Amino acid sequence: MAIGAERYGSRADTIAFLACLVLSLVALALPEALRRPIAGTLRTTVLAPVLAVERQAVTSREQRQSTVRLRAERDSFALAAAFVPELRAENLQLRSILRLGNRLGYGFVDAEVLHQTGLSDGLTLVLSAGRREGVVSMAPVIAPGGLVGMVLSVDSHTSVAMAWTHPDFRVSAMAEGGRLFGIVASRRLEASGEIMELRGIPYREGLAPGTMVVTSGLGGVYPRGVPLGSVQGVISESAGWERTYLLRPAVHPSQVSHVMVLFPSRARDTLTAEFDTTAVSQPGAAR
Amino acid sequence: MRIGPPRLKLAVVLAVLVAAHFALRPRFGPSPLAPDLVLVALLFFAIRSRPGAGAAAGFVVGLLVDAVTPTAFGASAFALTVVGFLSGWLKAVVFPDNLLVNAVFVFAASLARDVLQVLAAGQLRSGAAALLVTSPVAALSTTAAALLALVVFRGWLRGVPAR
Repeated sequence: MAIGAERYGSRADTIAFLACLVLSLVALALPEALRRPIAGTLRTTVLAPVLAVERQAVTSREQRQSTVRLRAERDSFALAAAFVPELRAENLQLRSILRLGNRLGYGFVDAEVLHQTGLSDGLTLVLSAGRREGVVSMAPVIAPGGLVGMVLSVDSHTSVAMAWTHPDFRVSAMAEGGRLFGIVASRRLEASGEIMELRGIPYREGLAPGTMVVTSGLGGVYPRGVPLGSVQGVISESAGWERTYLLRPAVHPSQVSHVMVLFPSRARDTLTAEFDTTAVSQPGAAR
Repeated sequence: MRIGPPRLKLAVVLAVLVAAHFALRPRFGPSPLAPDLVLVALLFFAIRSRPGAGAAAGFVVGLLVDAVTPTAFGASAFALTVVGFLSGWLKAVVFPDNLLVNAVFVFAASLARDVLQVLAAGQLRSGAAALLVTSPVAALSTTAAALLALVVFRGWLRGVPAR
């Protein structure tokens, strides 16, 4: 026996082994021109089914990877798209505040509203401008749509403003070019939340729905002509003496992201021309 | 030559391994470390066959492998012929049901195949790094796959007579 003991293999095994070995050495020694057709023939005949299976497996893997990639891209786009309305609204606010800034020209400082979580957000606002930026206590806070409130307290780089929605807020108001005067305060409705009411309008005078109510400038805190809201209708009458009107607010504090704080030097100005009263109906400007 | 049920079962197991090699391996990406189930099938066959049959099977499988990697046509045939023959020759010391012996056997066969293939192709200089780094890991993964197959198909592989 050529290799090993009897039980390990016979002469035929050795011959088969040597033959295969020689054949593989012949294959190794084949010139390139012969190797290619032999390999090609094997691939297109014996190996064709397994290569087809392999191709299918590769395709399946690529499709799975492609699906995962597409899903990730779709999720990214969905996430980005979720911010589009918010960005659009903020863009609108910034554009209108730029326009208002151009019209005001001087005597103000821009501030960002640092909205806080909690029930008091919307009643008081934290602003990103403080004493260093020229903000003083009781300074009017306005947005492109109209009055937001007034500054309550001032820190070095921040300040806290009382919005008109605050229960203690009051502002002297006028309508119809200064013919009628009253006091505007907030009123909480169960259904629509904080809105405004205009008190003290003489009973004999009537205000049509849609009439714009602006600050009167009386009291020396707020400049004259800053929009407060538009008349919605009468909500109460006091024994033939006065009427109280419901106002649709020009600006809702919880929806404002950027404001302007006016300097005291502007308190005696009339700003009627600076405000575009159509802003009342803009998204984000009012509820 | 009559093919009895044990040989038929062995043929089914080998077919499953070859099919899994081509159907499953590509799903995990082009990794040189993936288990070589064709080698496992060859070893399962050779260890249950005469050395001559093992050598012939190794030659045929090697030639087919060479057909899809034609850079060194004949190198795989050479390496698998030797591995197939030695596997059949060593069957007296490899107990088909012993997992540990099988693990060592498959690991050694995988490494030997790689060494012989590199030598036959004359690529020792360029393939030395792969032999030292990739081959042992690939041999380990092939060994793991072989043990798994042994456990899964234990009932089918038991009692296959050598021819």
